[in-house]
Formats: sequence, structure tokens, C-alpha cells
Amino acid sequence: MSLLSAIFYYMAAASVVSALLAVTRRNPVHSMLWVLALFLHVAGIFLLLNAEFLAVVQVIVYAGAILIFYLFIVMLLDLPDEEARPRFGSHWPFAAAVGLSFAALVWLAHSGSELAPAARGVSAERPMQGGLSEVGMALFGPFTLPFEMASIVLLAAILGAVVLARRRAAGS
Amino acid sequence: MIVPVGTVLVLSAILFGIGIFGFLARRNIILMLISVEVMLNAVNLSLAGFSGHHEDLRGQILALFVIAVAAAEVGVGLGLVIALNRNKPGAAVADLTKLKW
Repeated sequence: MSLLSAIFYYMAAASVVSALLAVTRRNPVHSMLWVLALFLHVAGIFLLLNAEFLAVVQVIVYAGAILIFYLFIVMLLDLPDEEARPRFGSHWPFAAAVGLSFAALVWLAHSGSELAPAARGVSAERPMQGGLSEVGMALFGPFTLPFEMASIVLLAAILGAVVLARRRAAGS
Repeated sequence: MIVPVGTVLVLSAILFGIGIFGFLARRNIILMLISVEVMLNAVNLSLAGFSGHHEDLRGQILALFVIAVAAAEVGVGLGLVIALNRNKPGAAVADLTKLKW
């Protein structure tokens, strides 16, 4: 086993453990911090999969922006009795069964079928790089329309968040 | 690829299962949304794995769009949490029974 695959298996084990801890901790802030560990380990796996730009976006957007947003909301809502209440609803064994059977089903489905080997055509001469220049050329070349639509989705989300969270004036 | 793509897919399936469990079992609405983020990360992982397997950038581009939509979802979802909290303090989903009769 080479060093890189050992690093991959460490990242995989650490992300599974931190995901499990994130969904089971009692204190919401502890959950957020375990999710932060999960995001950083997944960014490491992206690096190992030749997706450098994706790894950087994962750290900046997920670990940097989204998680801080969640932490702000947890602190804003001020849930002092959250730790005293039960973490799970009374139906949690069914939820565990659903999650386990999904993972087992995908595992079985994958072990029963062989993935087609990677196509060795044009890409063999010019190996894929997930770096900034290649992703940027793709985003502003063939993927311009989805890229612009993503900006419209984000604009709609900004407006929706402002409308939803705005404090209504009294009487209106 | 450093590891076979199947390993990445199995890891992604395990993370998605953990996310499903968290979404269905937790009582706190914020932690349900966090479980959705775990599931989206699992999907991004399998997209990046396929992208590396086929040596094709499209998987990574799709994962970028998934991240953009996740950011939008977080904005709207947490805005809803704030609006709900204003009507009824607390974050337990079991308390949100206004539409039930």
C-alpha cells in the first residue's frame, strides 16, 4: 500500500467517524465542529482525487461560509435547554435502519457490478487536471449557461432569506 | 487514481447513510439541515470519484453547482429557522404542529 492510499484510507475513516459524531452529539456546537472536521477531511479526499479546485471551494464555501452561518444561527437562537432534551425522536431505530439499509444496498449494488474501465481516448494524451485553469475554461466555455443560472439561483436565495428573516413591522 | 473508484463510492454511500440517519432521527431542525449538508458532501464525493475515474471534468463542474445550490439552500433554510423561531421559540421539529388538525 503506497503512502497516498494510506492517506486516503485515513481520510475516509476520519470522515466517517466525524460524520457519525456530528449526527449524534448532544450539544449543537459540538456537532458543528465535527461537521467542520468532516468537511476538511472530504477536502483532503478531493485533493487525492485530482480535484484541487473543488477542494479549495470545499474549504472556502463549506467550511468557511456555510458552517459559520450555521454557527451564527445556533448562537443567535440561544437554545439553553437543548442539552437537557433527548437528541433523537422516539423513532430513531427506524431512521438507523433506513440509513444502514441504504449504505448496505449501495455497497451490494456496487459489489455485484463491475464499473466500465476508464475510457482511454483523448484523455490519455492529455491527462485531466482539476486545477483552476481547466475548471475555469470549462465553466466559461461549455458551462456558461448553467454558471449564469447558478448566479440567478443564488440571487433568488438571497432575496428569499431576506424576506423570510425580516422582522415584520408592527401592524403590517 | 490512487484508489479504485469503488472505494470512493462505498465511502460516499456510508456518509450518505449517516446523513439519512441524522436527518430522520434528530429532533433539532438545525441539526437536520446539517445532516442534509453531510448527504450533499457524500454526493460531491461520488461525483469527484466518477470524474477521476473517467478523467472527465464534468463531474467536478457538477459538484461545483451542487455546492452553489447547497449555499442557496442553507440561506433559505436558516431564514426559515429564524422565522419559525420568532413565532415559537425553540428548534424542535416536534413542536411545529400548526398545520396539523
